[in-house]
Amino acid sequence: MDRNQLVKWLESPAKMGHKYSLHAVYFCTGCGIIEVPPSITARWDAERFGVLPSASPRHANLFLITGYVSVKTLRAIIQTYDQMPEPKYAVGFGSCPINGGMYWDSYNTIKHLDKYIPIDGWIAGCMPRPEAIFVAVTHLWTLIDKDMADGYKRYRKHYAAYRANQEKALPGLDWPPLFPLEGSE
Amino acid sequence: MRDMGTLLEQLTSTFDGVRARLDDDGRMRLEAEKESVMSLLSFLRDSGFDFLQMVSCVDWIDRGSMELVYVLSSYPSTDGGSGDLLYCILKVELPRDRARTVSVIPLYECAEPYEREIHELFGVDFHGHPRLTPLLLEREYPVPPFRKDFDTRKYVSDFFDSIPPVEEEGGAQ
Amino acid sequence: MTKMIWYVLSPLIALVVGILLMGLSRKLLARIHWRVGPPILQPVIDLIRFLSQKSASHGFLFDSGLILSLAGSLVLTLFLPLGQYTPMSGSGGLLVILYVMLLGPLGIAFSSGGAANPYASIGISRKLMLAMGYELPLLLIVLTVMTGYRTISIVEVVRIQQAQGWAIATFPLLLSALAYILILPAILGMRPFEVVGAAQEISSGPVVEFGGPHLALSTLQHALTTYIGLSLFVNLMLGGGSNPVFFLLKMLVVFVLCLCVHAVFPRFRVDQAIRYLWRWPALVAMAGLVLTVLMGG
Repeated sequence: MDRNQLVKWLESPAKMGHKYSLHAVYFCTGCGIIEVPPSITARWDAERFGVLPSASPRHANLFLITGYVSVKTLRAIIQTYDQMPEPKYAVGFGSCPINGGMYWDSYNTIKHLDKYIPIDGWIAGCMPRPEAIFVAVTHLWTLIDKDMADGYKRYRKHYAAYRANQEKALPGLDWPPLFPLEGSE
Repeated sequence: MRDMGTLLEQLTSTFDGVRARLDDDGRMRLEAEKESVMSLLSFLRDSGFDFLQMVSCVDWIDRGSMELVYVLSSYPSTDGGSGDLLYCILKVELPRDRARTVSVIPLYECAEPYEREIHELFGVDFHGHPRLTPLLLEREYPVPPFRKDFDTRKYVSDFFDSIPPVEEEGGAQ
Repeated sequence: MTKMIWYVLSPLIALVVGILLMGLSRKLLARIHWRVGPPILQPVIDLIRFLSQKSASHGFLFDSGLILSLAGSLVLTLFLPLGQYTPMSGSGGLLVILYVMLLGPLGIAFSSGGAANPYASIGISRKLMLAMGYELPLLLIVLTVMTGYRTISIVEVVRIQQAQGWAIATFPLLLSALAYILILPAILGMRPFEVVGAAQEISSGPVVEFGGPHLALSTLQHALTTYIGLSLFVNLMLGGGSNPVFFLLKMLVVFVLCLCVHAVFPRFRVDQAIRYLWRWPALVAMAGLVLTVLMGG
């Protein structure tokens, strides 16, 4: 942890700010959210890493998708992700967002969440323990340091493709595109 | 009211075609035709079963029928303190290809979400229901997804696998 | 010349102290909960992050309300004695403070109204309800202090207390001090009166639509509110300070006491809060006023 190195703060204050002030959205999908209360309260204390749950997506820059995503939840996830200010980081938690997990043949559960919104990292497991969240957070720090946590940039770049997939999964998206569709691929 | 035996006799003598049985644990099981559902339920409600716990549905694809299950109970007997629960399970069979029946909302108002959900997931049509709009599902399905002839694996490979990944070369990972 | 420097220094000190107090509150809260907690400078890290992000604006009122609120709070710090230094000591005193204190919540109310988010509206209505609850005892307390010391100048109040002993240690004013302690958590927006920014119920209330720089400004406004609430209490009841260091130390002690209550209590519903605020603190403050008039007359 290089939080106390003043030189780095002077070199790139914005990047260091994004690293050590990760506010996660309160967003519960599926069973994984049960791992979040222990990790933000006294037992595992996420606040010592600067990770704090925030109630509004406008305050947040970390989106932890905890568990399976049904088609109805996908609508809320896309809306929440669009509302977060950039730069924003999305982390899939558990095996269900990765490839469907134990719901691989379900009629109503999204497989491969990264087809609909860009994901910066995955935490595998069913369920991952709270320690895994902190491993992910430290890993996310390295990614931010190397400018590799670029999900929000990829979202801008490939917005037309993402939007097409979103419209395919959710017939009748009732909100306008976030970015102009012409410029992106 | 407590005497389930007399109630059973009353039922079988009043209604034709009702097969009734009393289990050892005090539950009453009834099987009836779909035409007599309203009269049977109003009789049961007047004789003390004033709470519809839930409505469920089973798809018997071999028999070619959909079975609606009404689970009834009563408020005073469940918290009365004597300890014995009062249950009545009413089963109604519908033909599978013409699955429609009458809504029981006039008798039990709490049936509204159950009937709405059964309509959505099993395709049973409830006559007289105020709004049979989708409750849980976001998409249109070829057949209602809880029916036994709905092939989930085929649906998954047809729909979810047809959506292309956005970035083939991969990003940060 | 030194007086001119304090025009700049006083709001700056207020901002820095307010932010440090916020960081201290997070650290101390964590220690009371038996956690490690964030570093004390965590609010500064958050502020840097907020300022480096882009936020969505919801129109002119949304931006200007926030600036109005922050400006009101910054002006207010000029009227409050910081130790022996008061930039604007000559004019108005307590009456001006009471009026300018309204600008902070009002600006936030304008801004949240511009956002048209229902959670923000609920938060603002709760804020105004709560303000209605604590304004009555606060007015009675200020009236008592003005009657007891026969002046409306807060500088004068501090000077008399320095000479004759703190207000909290003299008899009829003791009751006012007691009432003030009872309403202090409501003024600071801490539990058990944290109905305004209730994160779990109404998504942080008024600040729900703020992101990026807007959120940074509203965090600064919150820091200033904390500073002003504590500063007014210390100046009116604890005799101010003979120099800024003593003054800030007194503020720290009061804040830590409030924080201990904040850490272990759940929160009132807004109707319970009003019922409480208009009953006990108002009653005690009224008794203090009556006794002051009778004994001083």
